[in-house]
Amino acid sequence: MTIVKKSLPYLLAVVASFVAAGIFIALMGFDVFKAYQTILFTSFRTPNGFIQTLLKFVPLLLLALAFTIPLTAGKFNIGGEGQMMAGGIGAAAMGIMFADLPAIILLPLVILGGVVAGALWGLVPAWLLYKFNINEILTTVLFNFIALFLIDYVCTGPWRDPAAGHPTTVLIGRGGWLPMLVNNPPLHSGIILAVLVAIGVYIYTSRTTGGYELIATGANPRAAGVFGIKTRRMFVLSLVLGGAVAGLAGAFEVAGNQHRLIEGMQSNFLQLGMIIGLISRGNNGAVPFVAFLIAVLEVGASAMQRTMMIPVEVVFIVEALILLFVLLSDVVRRK
Amino acid sequence: MENKTILELKNVRKVFGQIVALDSVSFALKRGEIHGLLGGNGAGKTTLMNILYGLYRKDEGEILLRDQAVSIEGPRDAINQGIGMVHQHFLQISNFTVLENIILGTDVKNKYTMKLEDEVVKVKELCQRFGLNVDLNDVMSTLPVGARQKVEILKALYRGVDILILDEPTTNLTPQEVDALFESLRVMVNEGLSIVFITHKLREVLSVCDRITVLREGKNITTLDRKDASEEVFVRAMVGEKMDIENSIYFATEERQVFDRTSVEAPKLKLENVNLISQDGVQRLKDLNLEVFGGEIVGIAGVAGNGQRELAEVVTGVVPVSSGKKIYMGDDVTSKTNEDLLSSGFSYIPEDRLSDGFLPKATVAQNLILGQHRIKPYSDGRFINWKTVYAETTKNIKEYNIKTNGPGDVGGNLSGGNIQRVLIARAFSMDSQVMVAHNPTRGLDIPSMDFVYQKMLARREAQMATLLISEDLDELMRISDRIAVIYRGEILGVLERSEFDKYAIGRLMSGISPENQPSKEKTLP
Amino acid sequence: MDTTIIDFLRLVLLSMVPFVLAGQGTMLGGRTGVFNVAQEGMMLVGASVGFLVSYYSGSIFLGVIVAMLSGALFGLALAYFTTSLKMNQFVIGLALFFIGLGVSTLLPKLILGITLTPPLIPTLKGIPIPLLSQIPFIGPILFNQNILVYVSVLVSIGLWYFLFRTQKGLELRSVGEYPMTADSLGINTTKMRYWSTIIGGMLIGMAGAYLPMVYAGTFTEGMTMGRGWLAIALTFFGGWSPLPILYGSLFFSAVEVLAFRVQVIGSFLPYQILQMFPYIATILVMIFTFKRARVPAFLGNNYDREKRSL
Repeated sequence: MTIVKKSLPYLLAVVASFVAAGIFIALMGFDVFKAYQTILFTSFRTPNGFIQTLLKFVPLLLLALAFTIPLTAGKFNIGGEGQMMAGGIGAAAMGIMFADLPAIILLPLVILGGVVAGALWGLVPAWLLYKFNINEILTTVLFNFIALFLIDYVCTGPWRDPAAGHPTTVLIGRGGWLPMLVNNPPLHSGIILAVLVAIGVYIYTSRTTGGYELIATGANPRAAGVFGIKTRRMFVLSLVLGGAVAGLAGAFEVAGNQHRLIEGMQSNFLQLGMIIGLISRGNNGAVPFVAFLIAVLEVGASAMQRTMMIPVEVVFIVEALILLFVLLSDVVRRK
Repeated sequence: MENKTILELKNVRKVFGQIVALDSVSFALKRGEIHGLLGGNGAGKTTLMNILYGLYRKDEGEILLRDQAVSIEGPRDAINQGIGMVHQHFLQISNFTVLENIILGTDVKNKYTMKLEDEVVKVKELCQRFGLNVDLNDVMSTLPVGARQKVEILKALYRGVDILILDEPTTNLTPQEVDALFESLRVMVNEGLSIVFITHKLREVLSVCDRITVLREGKNITTLDRKDASEEVFVRAMVGEKMDIENSIYFATEERQVFDRTSVEAPKLKLENVNLISQDGVQRLKDLNLEVFGGEIVGIAGVAGNGQRELAEVVTGVVPVSSGKKIYMGDDVTSKTNEDLLSSGFSYIPEDRLSDGFLPKATVAQNLILGQHRIKPYSDGRFINWKTVYAETTKNIKEYNIKTNGPGDVGGNLSGGNIQRVLIARAFSMDSQVMVAHNPTRGLDIPSMDFVYQKMLARREAQMATLLISEDLDELMRISDRIAVIYRGEILGVLERSEFDKYAIGRLMSGISPENQPSKEKTLP
Repeated sequence: MDTTIIDFLRLVLLSMVPFVLAGQGTMLGGRTGVFNVAQEGMMLVGASVGFLVSYYSGSIFLGVIVAMLSGALFGLALAYFTTSLKMNQFVIGLALFFIGLGVSTLLPKLILGITLTPPLIPTLKGIPIPLLSQIPFIGPILFNQNILVYVSVLVSIGLWYFLFRTQKGLELRSVGEYPMTADSLGINTTKMRYWSTIIGGMLIGMAGAYLPMVYAGTFTEGMTMGRGWLAIALTFFGGWSPLPILYGSLFFSAVEVLAFRVQVIGSFLPYQILQMFPYIATILVMIFTFKRARVPAFLGNNYDREKRSL
């Protein structure tokens, strides 16, 4: 099947959900066309809009991968948010404790801190799955809440910035700041690393023996196990990798955007990450493209709420509808 | 006595996607007869009966019951019309009791308290009448296969059916149990039932059926009274013109050359005093000793559930032994994982092919390299050489006659028989030193079964070792050099080819130990 | 001293209701093989809808009814997509969770506008049962609760009786164990699945409506605080059986109340650690129960009658 033919169901799904939501928006009494104009084109109208989109793109891409990597092995990682927050804590910890180190040491340390913290946040549920067979959906979700409280503690505890009105930590050392690609509006270089990670994940799953084992584990864990694959190790590995990638997103928030740890930084990236992962049907190659589309929609949504007073949740529902229609198109294709 | 036709299926057609499962098939059942529905796997027999029972919907055709057209939309309609079916894979709820399984779906007297005294009386009466004795309070999962089949039959009798369909009922029975079943069938017929007996085993049909209808590839071939036709006629009807019957192994009647063991030194595979205690504390394998030499096929006979799966999994390393030794080509491999074994000359065709051997969501190519994905030629240990994989897959698709759109086709699109072919291709293409094949031909039509037998004999020629675990005693007797009988996890006896006797093996399968047997049994030290 | 314990126990019974209802709702669907993971979203919608309807109609009763209907709607969607269209239950559950999340915050914004001070509804009061509530100690704890507490206990007992003492209950359970068997005996597996998920959804909707009506008096984003997910853990903990789920809810509720109490009293631990306590406790509980959990055999799978078997 050609690429065009393959993506047809997705395009139809997008169109269908826009139409469905459009009817709803019209019923609410808003100008549908203006609404959609804002949603779709804000990203491309101004350089600022585009940069905003790219800034949103990075965490969405990483959180989507954090969901799809375990999904390949058949596991559902609902803990991307917590892993990202843990990553933020880890990065901030490095950045604050070693604030005086030069950039050449501090920056990698900060990034690494985020990655390792996120990986650990994925490791614990993975270990609970491995040792006690506890469903990872439950444990990863619970760890989201635990991370939430942990951030609250960190931001109001010993590292807090007394001058700030909102719970937040002091700035991390200058050496830990990610170099900027563009200064005004600010776009940090994390995007390069994020894209590299996406490419790396794609190569891993499609070409290596390890990636094959991951796919086989997800396709039929019992059969994979009978034929020599250590499936339980695969589960753990996939959740740790997912956590690490989410942790990287957290590190980027700290080192690239805020230069400190702010409470409430995560917003709805988790849900969007999962939606992206599900729309891509677990295909790691499709994830970056879907992530970009969603980033565009999100930027447009905030603009729409600002200028037209239409709540952002409408766009969220559009995105959920896209997911539903994509899933339905699967069913139709099967018949 | 004039035998009236009680049931007629006329010109039934059923299509699954692209596959025509039934092409204008007709079938008539007379009252009080045992009518055999004969054909290889995939011929359409089960599909036809599933339509009668309401599990499938027919695309065309009609069903006439006692000369009246009826419409059967679901099993409830079939049951209301007096039709009952005993399926090949028992449909029972493992953690309900025998009684609960029997009355499930019927209206009991005390719907809102579930006091079942009346029902108990009724069931016990049936047990007496038909000689099917089971304890009503036993939980299904604790019962052996023979007992579970009795429950299946009781389910139908409880509902007062007058037409009973049995789908491959002898699959898991010893020869003695098969005889007992046939006795019961005769009792039922005398009590007024009419029976449809689905099977692919010619010999059985000849011994118990009054009339026989043969289906092949979804079409009617012939319907004859048993006394009117010979075995050859039925054979030809089952396989058609294309198959070479004279040279086939399935139908071979003459003796094969016996494996000459004196020319070989050491066994390729040796199990010494192997014990296996499962996770729930049950002893599955007990002091098991077995040798398999290169150039021979060792068959493992036994009633399902006596340790066959555990044996297969212990040999291939899926499960580690609790105690004992495994020796492969002279080396102690007891502690090696299945990953190691599969990479060093073992191959495995698991019995439960869909759950244990196949990846429905992956492509055919990905399925083919499962277990061998770390070794040449498919991989260098780190990266997979997809080009080679695809080339090999294309070759295998052709050689093993796998019906698929190509190496990139999704596994889930393949039919059951073709999934089996993928597993067979995977195992045989490796030219492994030791192969464990568990029910490898189940689900295949007769020409394909022959193909597998040819491949196994080729392995034998090439001095490789094959362990064939099968619940089809005929199959084992056809191609094994030796048969070891497993009972409750122990090898109870080993027979050489010259000593093969169905009833002797049957006795061992039932656990009757060879103390007073006249023929020589060899138990290995 | 005495009154603190009485107050504590009273509060535990009060707080167990969302757990009981959401747990039983999950269990009922699970008994026919449908593994619902959308509870969190469904409860939020129940809370949001229940609150809005109560506010505008002045009747809490009506609010609860409408919340139940919203839950039934989600249950219907879940049943349709999984049972009729045979789609993956987890994926559909997650999709419904997202939709619930979005809808629950959208509705108040649309209807009330974006306000700073959220409007309030009067909360449910306790209904003392005459005579019984006079019994010292257990009287105020057990017999002076709001109506939904009594409802949740009755629902639990009713479900137990239905599943284990009636013919239909046996048939329903068989659908979750081995639907092909049930089907072959003439049981309508599809109908059973629809009913169990719809009624289960109603219970979950009710569980959500309880939150604004008893705790806060209003709806706030994310007010379920993960209780929907905890309900799933609870269901496993209770072995997918109504009575153990009821007892388990007491436990979960006790942990929650305890953590809150200790926070209020104050201790040397940072309060955030205490906030984590219910969640950590849940994990510990799961460690001890997951291995032994008796789960309906067909949970999480969809049955297709015409699927060509092997």
